[in-house]
Amino acid sequence: MKTLREMLAEARRVVPEQGPAELKAQLDRGEALVLIDVRDPDEYRDGYIDPAVNISRGFLEFRVASAAADPNVPIVLYCQTGLRSVLAAKALKELGFTNVTNLAGGYQRWVQSGLPIAKDSPLNTDQIQRYSRHFLLGPIGEKGQRKLLGSKVLLIGAGGLGSPTAYYLAAAGVGTLGIMDGDRVDITNLQRQILHKTSDIGRPKVESATETIRALNPDVTVVPYPVRLTVDNVEEILKDYDLVIDGSDNFETRYLVNDACYLQGKTNVHGSIFQFEGMATVFAPDRGPCYRCLYPTPPPPGLVPS
Amino acid sequence: MIGLVQATEAIKLLVGFGEPLIGRLLTYDAIGMNFREVKLRRDPNCPLCGQNPRIKDLSIHMEGAGGQVCAVGDDGQGAPAASSAPAAKPGG
Repeated sequence: MKTLREMLAEARRVVPEQGPAELKAQLDRGEALVLIDVRDPDEYRDGYIDPAVNISRGFLEFRVASAAADPNVPIVLYCQTGLRSVLAAKALKELGFTNVTNLAGGYQRWVQSGLPIAKDSPLNTDQIQRYSRHFLLGPIGEKGQRKLLGSKVLLIGAGGLGSPTAYYLAAAGVGTLGIMDGDRVDITNLQRQILHKTSDIGRPKVESATETIRALNPDVTVVPYPVRLTVDNVEEILKDYDLVIDGSDNFETRYLVNDACYLQGKTNVHGSIFQFEGMATVFAPDRGPCYRCLYPTPPPPGLVPS
Repeated sequence: MIGLVQATEAIKLLVGFGEPLIGRLLTYDAIGMNFREVKLRRDPNCPLCGQNPRIKDLSIHMEGAGGQVCAVGDDGQGAPAASSAPAAKPGG
């Protein structure tokens, strides 16, 4: 049986090491490398070397591909003192990653060298549990969750499209959801507009939407706008949001959302449905077409049922 | 279905991963249960985002701005798509 010391010595023979100063210089030069913190999530939360992603040792082989798709990309691993990470680096080499280095002395020596650390705003215990399934998804992770919690999305319409959109964005933990709709809940809405309940009939849609969302996820701040979007209110309202989702049911609003979003440089996630058909696209200013590229003129009145 | 596509796209855009539906129109037909993707191109003559934009503010939407609030005056440059009204309408 091998001793731990022999195992570490064996790993050190095949894994090149570098010191903190060397890593710092590489990061400062903007060199393309993937920095992975293999410590446990609670250690990472207490502070890490920016821009490291956290894939703890136990999951490394399973999730490394989400951080390093190319097996030839330079990878630097670190843990607290450099021991766990040297064993981890050996495992990655055995998996076929050709350019893996270990940070000698780990996070501890990095800190002792007076180099800067990063620390994310803490998630509370409930949030860590609530979003734990997001953390397992490489492209989202805890960092992505923090972005979502800090994001502001404006939903135009709390009807057939806005209902599922609001539900899923609220569940996912989008921190601020503006919901705009000037209508009241009608019994004919209830077969598809799942934000609203039978007892909400007659209430403003934004009111029942706010209640539903708050009950689903207290992390979400709902900003209700019980009005129709108009040329007079659109600019003032839009400017506070990172992203706009158009779930409106009329062409006037769609052109208005399109124009206002373009002029303010906001991305507009567009959707529309009619009976059994629907469509969706994203209008990102100057990265692709806008609604007017698609539909230069509105259809003549009477052509489309209202 | 479409609302969920919008929610997914929003999450991707906010977090910053994946391929967003920019320049692509996803269409959905529930009866045949078909999804189709249509490539969308920018219209160089677009009155908003084209090379010589005529819409520089929202005044076109103001009441009395030439009848139809969202229509742009016909200058004969409308793309062929102008004649085909959107098949999809109310979100309702």
